[in-house]
Amino acid sequence: MRERTIGLLLAVPAIATIALLYMMPLLASVTGAFETEAGFGLDNFIKARDLYTTDILYTLLIVSASTLIIAAFSVAIAGYLTLGENPKAVAILRWLYRWPLFIPFIVVGQVLRTFLAKNGLMNNLLVAGGILTPMQTMSFLDWRGIVIAFVWKQTPFVTLLLAGAMASIDRATIEAARNLGASRLRILFEIVVPQVRTTLFVGMVLSFVTMMSVLSVPLMISAQSPTMITADIAFRINAYGDYGVANALGMISLIMTMAVAIFYLSHNLKEKAR
Amino acid sequence: MSALSMQDGRAAGKRLRLPFDLKWLPRAIVLGLVAFAIFGPLANLLLWTVAERWYFPHTLPLEYGFSYWAKVFSPRGVAWESLFTSVFIALLAVIGSLALAIPAGYALGRLKLPARGLILLVFLIPQAFPNLPVYVNIARFFYDVGLNGTIAGVVLVHVTHGLVFAVWIATASFAAVDAELEEAARSMGAGPFRAFFDVTLPLALPGLMASGIFVFLESLDEFTGAYFVGAPDVQTLPLLLYTAGAGGNYQIASITALLLLIPSIFFMLVVERFLRADVLSRIGH
Amino acid sequence: MKTFLSAAVVLAVAIPPASATELTVVTAGDTNMVDYINEYLAPIFEKENPGDTVRAVGTGPGDAGSQKILERFEAQSGNETWDTDVAVVHEKFAGPMVEQNFLKQYRGDIATGELVTSDKAKMALGTNVDGYVMPMFSSQTAIAYNPALVENPPKSYSEIETWAHEHPGQFGYNGIKGGASGVSFVMGWIYAFGDGDATQLMNGPFEEGAAKEWDGALKRLKDFNADVTMTPGNAGTLDMLGRGEIAMGPVWVDMFYSWQADGKLPPDMKLLLPEPGMPGQPMHYVIPENAPHPELAEKFVELATSPKIQAEGIVKRFNWYPGIDATHVKAELDEASWNKLFKDVTPEDLANYAKPFPIAPYNNAILEAYERHVAN
Repeated sequence: MRERTIGLLLAVPAIATIALLYMMPLLASVTGAFETEAGFGLDNFIKARDLYTTDILYTLLIVSASTLIIAAFSVAIAGYLTLGENPKAVAILRWLYRWPLFIPFIVVGQVLRTFLAKNGLMNNLLVAGGILTPMQTMSFLDWRGIVIAFVWKQTPFVTLLLAGAMASIDRATIEAARNLGASRLRILFEIVVPQVRTTLFVGMVLSFVTMMSVLSVPLMISAQSPTMITADIAFRINAYGDYGVANALGMISLIMTMAVAIFYLSHNLKEKAR
Repeated sequence: MSALSMQDGRAAGKRLRLPFDLKWLPRAIVLGLVAFAIFGPLANLLLWTVAERWYFPHTLPLEYGFSYWAKVFSPRGVAWESLFTSVFIALLAVIGSLALAIPAGYALGRLKLPARGLILLVFLIPQAFPNLPVYVNIARFFYDVGLNGTIAGVVLVHVTHGLVFAVWIATASFAAVDAELEEAARSMGAGPFRAFFDVTLPLALPGLMASGIFVFLESLDEFTGAYFVGAPDVQTLPLLLYTAGAGGNYQIASITALLLLIPSIFFMLVVERFLRADVLSRIGH
Repeated sequence: MKTFLSAAVVLAVAIPPASATELTVVTAGDTNMVDYINEYLAPIFEKENPGDTVRAVGTGPGDAGSQKILERFEAQSGNETWDTDVAVVHEKFAGPMVEQNFLKQYRGDIATGELVTSDKAKMALGTNVDGYVMPMFSSQTAIAYNPALVENPPKSYSEIETWAHEHPGQFGYNGIKGGASGVSFVMGWIYAFGDGDATQLMNGPFEEGAAKEWDGALKRLKDFNADVTMTPGNAGTLDMLGRGEIAMGPVWVDMFYSWQADGKLPPDMKLLLPEPGMPGQPMHYVIPENAPHPELAEKFVELATSPKIQAEGIVKRFNWYPGIDATHVKAELDEASWNKLFKDVTPEDLANYAKPFPIAPYNNAILEAYERHVAN
């Protein structure tokens, strides 16, 4: 009982900050989602469903796919950083992978737009290098562009977390397995990854949430329909001054991310109970 | 891509001694691809900072120069001032969120708490609800309490946003530290604070520092909240970057982005140096 | 930690507090708007009013930028003194600001107020804003094309439609969610192909149920969209034109010229204004009701809308169409600078084909009809 009190006391300042500075302002938005001309109701949600169901599913797909690709890449990179045997290659990779972390999302949108376009720098370089002919080039500025942008920006984030966690696990089991002749791939998936699973999931959930709320990448890379929820929210507000549907879409986005977070947390709690 | 290098490594591990240069081939290809994926877009950014004229059908800029640098750093411009303001705000946001996240993370990671999952969810909400419709409400509240147009106001907004990174990662870090170590220190007569500061905190530090980096970067990436709460008295560089970037002023946006890189990388290096010393000191203990 | 704290103190001291005679100008639009105020207008104003300083804050391009200014006013509507002296907003947002009593009726107070006689200073998308706004400049959308790729440029919406079907993927526009150049193209489409009376869309009155008159036009637009490239935003259209990925697309004339000046578009690109016309809109100077320095703010707008500044700054430097009546501006300029403004789009084109946007309720109804029938 005493531990619970102390624990709550320790957590209270942080909770109070969020409650005061974010939850109270958010409350107005949440009630706004249910406000219609005829009093409280679900009209805004119905309109959101009628107009934006495709966009909602599209958002979910893009963000989920990106999250999985990010997880795969970051396990690969962090795994090599931990288990790689050539110090030079490890050092080069360690120096390489982090750069996108420092580029703000809006600039990621800009550089990838001019890089991935049909006549963008990437295709121009490939054509100049004789790898492609001008007829073979194509533009990636659609859903693929958004996924590439997300993966490019978020992989270093998860990798950084993961590499830190992998560095702090006990080397003895790894060495023992290696002495028994286990391949490094097996060591990675059977010994290392299980030990850093929590960190991996935390990184994935945080990436998922971040990507759900980014506006500049979908706006700058692909404004075709379907588009992402954040772009629709911005459109509802800027074009119509319609906060009702914007807030309803915000609620839908919130529910989607909460579902993912709850899935992770229940999994996490179950594991703790074991 | 790592599968390739893994196989290569495995082959090397199994007595099969290949000549050195052959062993490097797959590694070099993979590293080269990674380098292209990362530096290709970045090269694009760098080229735009010095491109005076660049359009179809030219692969590279037609004319290079620094006239846009002069524009960014014009005597009436606010580039330097807003860069310093942004870094100052980011540092305060890091301090603020760590100060809140360390006790909260300790409680969430180590102690038995009622509704633990719910508390963790609460921190996620500022990131999970797309913020555009919420900022007006925050601004209204901040105008009421006189926080609008102050550095403190912007810092608070960035703290609420960064807190999810700080708290979630701090929770994971503290949970990963073996509780028995702290109990051992307590049984040897150390007080609760002593045990925390001497044993648990140093072990959780790498994670905490990583979360600090994310809060810092998140703050340097944020412009909507900074506009609603900070402007016109507090002008941050990301806000300038947004205006340039969204309007397609590639040159100005690229130069501003390059400016923002400096504090981010510097902060990262400082944190790393700090980290390495700490990790080294633990070896052999 | 200690060194950091002391550094923090030094920094906090080094950032000067807002001085009493600092005029705050908040502007929507591109960086060139901020630059125009900061680098061109402010030095002249500060010279004329020694001791006073001007600072400009940009809120970002497009409707989003103006919306942020409107939200800023809403957030501080309860306060007695606001933090903005002058704001520059898109026409669309002048109406809501007047309706919510955020603005001062100042045009009668300034000497340049009578230099603008056109309707654009009186009505904004169907709302009476007479006296509350002074136009900074007029912006117009037009079709930009690359003469190297388009030999016989189309002259009307029907010809554009045919051309796009004949050259799949070569026409590009940004739909309605990426900025107003695409919106403008869609409005022009409805003016051209809608069954109803286009002038009623522009001048009202609003009639519920008019949406049915657009069904045919929107269906044609959906077919049209199948053969065109969708671009990411106003800047995205220019971007793709500059890289030669599309040959033609709707752009804002002022953005087109500044992209050309920045070396991001080939110099031989051209503009045309198709029949029956495309919408344009002015950017307005407004002064909030509770501006902290109202007199200085009026002086600033007076300077900014004086014939000399409109000629030198708006027309000569930026190739923007002047906000005040053309006759006053033309008198201040040499023939060559004036004619440069009408290089591709002639004054006759403008007189015949430069249209206003539909009034606000029609505007919203058309956008939502597009969302339902074309994008969905």
